[in-house]
Amino acid sequence: MSKKKFSVNGNLKDSVNTVKFLIERTQFINNSAAVIPTRTDDFGVNKVARSLHPKVQNLVISRIEEHADLAKSYYFKSEGAPVAYFKAGQYLTFRLEIGSSVVTRSYSIASSPASALNGEYQITVKRIADGFVSDYILDNWSVGDKVTAYAPEGNMTYCPLRDAENIVAIAGGSGITPFLSLARAINQGDEDCNLTLLYGCRSSDEILFKAELDDLSAKNEKINVVYVLSHSEEEGYEKGFVGADIIKKYAPEGKYSIFVCGPGGMYKFLETELPKLELERKYIRFEVFSSGKKTQEEPKEYSITVVNRGDETVIKASSSETVLCAFERAGIEVPARCHTGECGFCRSKLVSGKVYIPEGEDKRRIGDMQFNFIHPCCSYPESDLVVRIN
Amino acid sequence: MLATVMSEYFYERSGNMVKNYDAVVIGAGNGGLVASARLAKEGKKTLLIERHNLPGGFATSFVRGRFEFEASLHELCGIGSITGKSPLLKIFKEVGAADKIEWVALDEAFRLITLDGKCDCAMPLGKEAFIAKLEEYDPGSAPIVSKIFELIESIEKTLDFVSNIEDFKPAMIKEIFSEHTEFLKVANYSVDEVLKAFGTSQKTRDILNGYWCYLGQPTDELNVIHYFTMLHSYIIDGAVIPRGRSHQISTALLEAFTENGGDAWFNTSVKKIIVKDGAATGVILDDGTQVNAKAVICNASPYNALTKLMDEKDVPEKLKREVNAKVLGAKGFAVFLGLNRSADELGLNNHTYFIYPTNDNRKCYELGKKIDTNDVQATVCLNRAFDDCSPEGTSILYMTSIFAGDEWSKVSVKDYHKTKVAFAEKMIDNFEKATGVAIRDYIEEIEISTPMTYARYTDAPAGTIYGYEATKEDGIVKRIVFDLIEKGMPGLYFAGGYTTRHMGYSPSYTTGDMAAKAAILAMEKEAK
Repeated sequence: MSKKKFSVNGNLKDSVNTVKFLIERTQFINNSAAVIPTRTDDFGVNKVARSLHPKVQNLVISRIEEHADLAKSYYFKSEGAPVAYFKAGQYLTFRLEIGSSVVTRSYSIASSPASALNGEYQITVKRIADGFVSDYILDNWSVGDKVTAYAPEGNMTYCPLRDAENIVAIAGGSGITPFLSLARAINQGDEDCNLTLLYGCRSSDEILFKAELDDLSAKNEKINVVYVLSHSEEEGYEKGFVGADIIKKYAPEGKYSIFVCGPGGMYKFLETELPKLELERKYIRFEVFSSGKKTQEEPKEYSITVVNRGDETVIKASSSETVLCAFERAGIEVPARCHTGECGFCRSKLVSGKVYIPEGEDKRRIGDMQFNFIHPCCSYPESDLVVRIN
Repeated sequence: MLATVMSEYFYERSGNMVKNYDAVVIGAGNGGLVASARLAKEGKKTLLIERHNLPGGFATSFVRGRFEFEASLHELCGIGSITGKSPLLKIFKEVGAADKIEWVALDEAFRLITLDGKCDCAMPLGKEAFIAKLEEYDPGSAPIVSKIFELIESIEKTLDFVSNIEDFKPAMIKEIFSEHTEFLKVANYSVDEVLKAFGTSQKTRDILNGYWCYLGQPTDELNVIHYFTMLHSYIIDGAVIPRGRSHQISTALLEAFTENGGDAWFNTSVKKIIVKDGAATGVILDDGTQVNAKAVICNASPYNALTKLMDEKDVPEKLKREVNAKVLGAKGFAVFLGLNRSADELGLNNHTYFIYPTNDNRKCYELGKKIDTNDVQATVCLNRAFDDCSPEGTSILYMTSIFAGDEWSKVSVKDYHKTKVAFAEKMIDNFEKATGVAIRDYIEEIEISTPMTYARYTDAPAGTIYGYEATKEDGIVKRIVFDLIEKGMPGLYFAGGYTTRHMGYSPSYTTGDMAAKAAILAMEKEAK
């Protein structure tokens, strides 16, 4: 600095001011109470955060409702705490112990967000071919059973800042549940959008929640439900698969967002149909499902060395099933939620070995790819592996 | 005492695991990661415990659709892209993480726009460029601003001296008094007091104070040393952004740590800090595992340490008083937008936008206590750092606001989603109004984080993202000086945003390193 030194209020006052801070600071600390401060968990923000995102929810099956098409709805109440609030379109992940396996599976919530405030959730499970977990649930879950679920997750929710205010929802089979929740939320005034629901089924007797959907469609002008039957010609129903023509026929005037939830076959069909609509990508949103299986000619057997807190366990794996599948079979628990690569909860370190990750399912971060972290839920072994889960 | 004996008996004979380490680190946030990496590098057997499934705490990223969003970092200082003064890079190199991270240097400081229409200034990084640009906006300011920068550099010299003190000796006080008089003179003044003493105009002060929201304190109260050291690290030394988002830094530090023999356990919580005879001697984990360690580095907030991790009888009176005296810092709110047009098409010409209702930052701070009246935002268009951060024809924009006070505590579960969407909408509206750039129709992906989000992921009390407020009584100079004089508890070292250097990336990394070095020094003394 220049020779003439800078001062704020003159050298003496500045020095006094500096010395003063020792006193100020000492008083500041000593004048406060020597008691344990407010617990972190007791701040309002933290309470709401915990209520929205509990680590785990201990639920009790309060009611079971049988539907057509080998489907059942399960209603849950919470033991103790109220159930976590959610946005229509989100799913619940359940943790199940089946034999020696520990598995997680996600089901879209069918009930409305308002019913969660009243302490209840509803999910609907449909019997599918080769459905290890759905079979177990349908054959075993009874009223009064205690089940473990995690907090609601998922991004196929309506956001007025992003989506058009007209939603064209395309549902297939039990993929109706997130849209039933949305329709209920609109009807209860908790979501402010218009819903055109194009619900694809094989025949009219496979339609789930028909009476309620008809009622919502008739009573609420924001909700319009159209049934599209693929394998049966019946009066009052559209015939065929939900594709560009049917969407154009029923889509409202102006901009609309398409939300899709259904089986794999439906996605395949829509892959060629949706481009015909020439919508911007932002107006199309999918709830992604993954079977966790890869079809190939001859599955190969591999071994995975699983490292958990420094301990190693060697398990069997197949090239036709995901690494997560191998974990589940072996009863090795990882905090998996979505099973589609999206949530990132199962993220693990691939210490050595090679995995195959289907294109388009790789939703990993740049840093995870750089340092060989994988999402076991969408990675298939292609050699013996060493994976660090914790 | 009996309880301690009993608990030892219980843990060592109950079949629960007992593990022995030199150091155990609670939390893989920025402070915890650097502390761990340093300890492992110095050959200390170290265990890092993290509740979540990934490292970083606030320093992370997330993927939505075809976008990877940075969770919190706007610009990183301490990497010294202009002057090469890179205290942070030095740490990263020493612990073995530096070559794993790809940095992109920024050339712009900020564009400052006020919603009252009185200010719209775009400022560059680099001392000369900054002074020259300020001269354009406020003719005649250059001589005074140059003098201010001399003071900023003089203060930096003192801070360098203090930072390099690893083992405090009373003789050092003498050196401070003889060699660092500039620093001592201004040490207890606010930014405003010092800038006014220079005879600066209001316009110059407004622009120099542009960064105030990064510290969250109005400049009539914010300590001048604190602010000037920040100006030094940004404007003089330069700022960067990691290509792989802050998650790349977090993961690089973790990799360096494990490469040097460190153990990191994720999805694992610490239940208790073990205290014996007034000293921390280890931790107990959620599964009952007892970890004995010579040093416990706590990257969890002191709130959590005192109210969750320690038995009341074990908490020293000083720590209780400290936590009660301090004020929780700003609560965070952020909107992350993936836009389906390029930054060029939209006219997003700047990297960092500071948008304030007015340049009166005291007023901004007071208005920022309420959801209805808060209009402060710091917004980044990441494509202006590197355009390939998002797919071709798209761009990434993220907006952060800060709340003083605790009004979010009043938001109920039922109103939560509506309140957050409404505030996000106001931020988007304000951005469009201030910049004249239309973005609303181009939102392909959106994510919104609130104080509740930060509470969820980091366990931050009240959702604060700024540790403790840098109030007049609790500015960093006072924190540093008193930290040199007295320690809280033998064996327990705090690292991260609640410690001496205030919050932020660079301070948290730095205090992580300081905590590790202090722990290593204590271990070496013990060994002698």
